[in-house]
Amino acid sequence: MITARSFLSKRAAHASALFFVCALGACSSLPPAVRSYGIAPSPLELVDTPFFPQQQFQCGPAALTTLLTASGVATTLDTIVGQVYLPARQGSLQSELLAATRAAGRVPYVLAPALAAVTGELAAGRPVLVLQNLGVSWAPRWHYAVVIGADAERNEVVLRSGSDARRIMQTSVFLRTWQRSGFWAMTALRPGELPAEADRLRYIEAVAGLEQTGHHTEARAAWQAGLSRWPDDTVLLFGLANAEFALGNFFAAEALYQDMLRHDSSSLMARNNLAMTLAAQGRRQDALEQIDSALPLAVGSPLLDDLRDTQATILGSAENASNRR
Amino acid sequence: MRSMRFRKFIIRLVSLSMLSLGFVQASGAAMIGTQQLVESDARTARAARVEAILTRQDVAKQLVAFGVDPRQVQARVGNMTDAELIALEGRLDKQVAGGDAIAVIGVVFLVLIILELMGITDVFKAT
Repeated sequence: MITARSFLSKRAAHASALFFVCALGACSSLPPAVRSYGIAPSPLELVDTPFFPQQQFQCGPAALTTLLTASGVATTLDTIVGQVYLPARQGSLQSELLAATRAAGRVPYVLAPALAAVTGELAAGRPVLVLQNLGVSWAPRWHYAVVIGADAERNEVVLRSGSDARRIMQTSVFLRTWQRSGFWAMTALRPGELPAEADRLRYIEAVAGLEQTGHHTEARAAWQAGLSRWPDDTVLLFGLANAEFALGNFFAAEALYQDMLRHDSSSLMARNNLAMTLAAQGRRQDALEQIDSALPLAVGSPLLDDLRDTQATILGSAENASNRR
Repeated sequence: MRSMRFRKFIIRLVSLSMLSLGFVQASGAAMIGTQQLVESDARTARAARVEAILTRQDVAKQLVAFGVDPRQVQARVGNMTDAELIALEGRLDKQVAGGDAIAVIGVVFLVLIILELMGITDVFKAT
C-alpha cells in the first residue's frame, strides 16, 4: 500500500522517523486504517493473501495466522496467539510456529535458505513466512513477516508485515534483514501438497514431525504425495507404513513393510515394525519368526535393543492374553 | 540440575514403563519411527526418543514459567518434535523470539539512525 510517507524522499522519511520513533516503541501497532493497495501488484504477487495486523509484540501470531488462513485453515488470530505467543519473551519461538502449524493440520516445511526457494513457493501460490532481524546483531529486532510477492525488475519484495498490509522492501534490504536469521523461512503445505523445490530430506523431516506428534492422517497423505514424486523411496514407504499402522490399518501396513523389505531385505527397522504389525493382527507366531530372523543380523547394531524390546512386548502380550483366559 | 546418573535412571524407568503399555500404542517403544530411519546415528536416536518424554514435561514447566497459560501448555509441547524439545529445553531465554522488541538507548540509538540512513537496517519502520 502507499502511505503518505512512501511519497517522501528516503532522507525525509528517516528524519520524520526520528520524531515518530519514541512513540512507536517496539512491535508498534498503528491502527489498522482502511488500506488502499494503490499501485499495481508486482509480477508475482499473491494479492488474495489475507492480512492480520499485529498487536504489540505479536508479529509471530499475526504472520502465522496469515500463512495458515492462506492455506485454507479456519482459525483466528486469538487462537494462534494462545499457541505461539510467549509473554515473558515478548515474542514467538520458531519451533512453536512449526508446532502450531502441525496443530492446524498442515505440514510445516522449512525452506532451503535461498530467495529462489521463496519465489518458487510464491509461484506455486503459497506465501512464505520469514524471520528477519530488522536491527543488527548487537541490537536485534527480530520480526516475523509473510512474503507475498517479488519483483525482480524493480528489485522489490512485497510482504504482509506487522501493521502494514503491503510492505514493499528493496530486495537488498530484505536479504540483509533475512540473512541475520540464517535465511529462515517456512511455508504451510496442505497434506498431499509437495513443496516447489524438490528437496527430499527437508520434506521427510517435515512429515516425520507430523508422525512424531501424532498427526497420522495428515502424515499418510503427505507420505503418499512424496511417493508420487519419489517412487519406491524406502524412507517414504516406511513412513507410509507407520502411518497406516498408527491408524490401525494393519493389512495395509503389512503390505508396505513387505514392499520395503523387497527393496531392502536387510532392513531391520522394517522387520521390527512388520513383526509389530503381525502381532497386532494376532499373528504372534509369524511376528516372533520375523524377530528371530532379524536378531542374528542385528548383533553389534543399536537396533538389537529395539528388536529385543519388540520380542519382549510380543511375548508379554501373549502371556497377558493367556493369563486372562 | 539433575545429575546424569539420576537422569539415566529415570530414562530406564520410563523405558520400562513404556514397554508395559503394550504394543497397540502407535508410538510405543517397540515401533520404530520414521525419524529414526533418517537419523545417522541410531543409538542417539533411540536415546533421544526416550529422553524427549522427560524433556516434554520440563519444557512445559518452563513455558508456564514464561507466562504461557497452563491450560494450553500441553497442546503446545505436544506438537513439538523430539529434536525441537531437546533444542528448547533450558534455553527459552536464549532462543530467538521474534516479536519486534527493541531496547535501545543513547549512543546505540544514534548508531542505529546512521545505519538506517545508510540502508543497512530497517529498524525504525512502523511495521
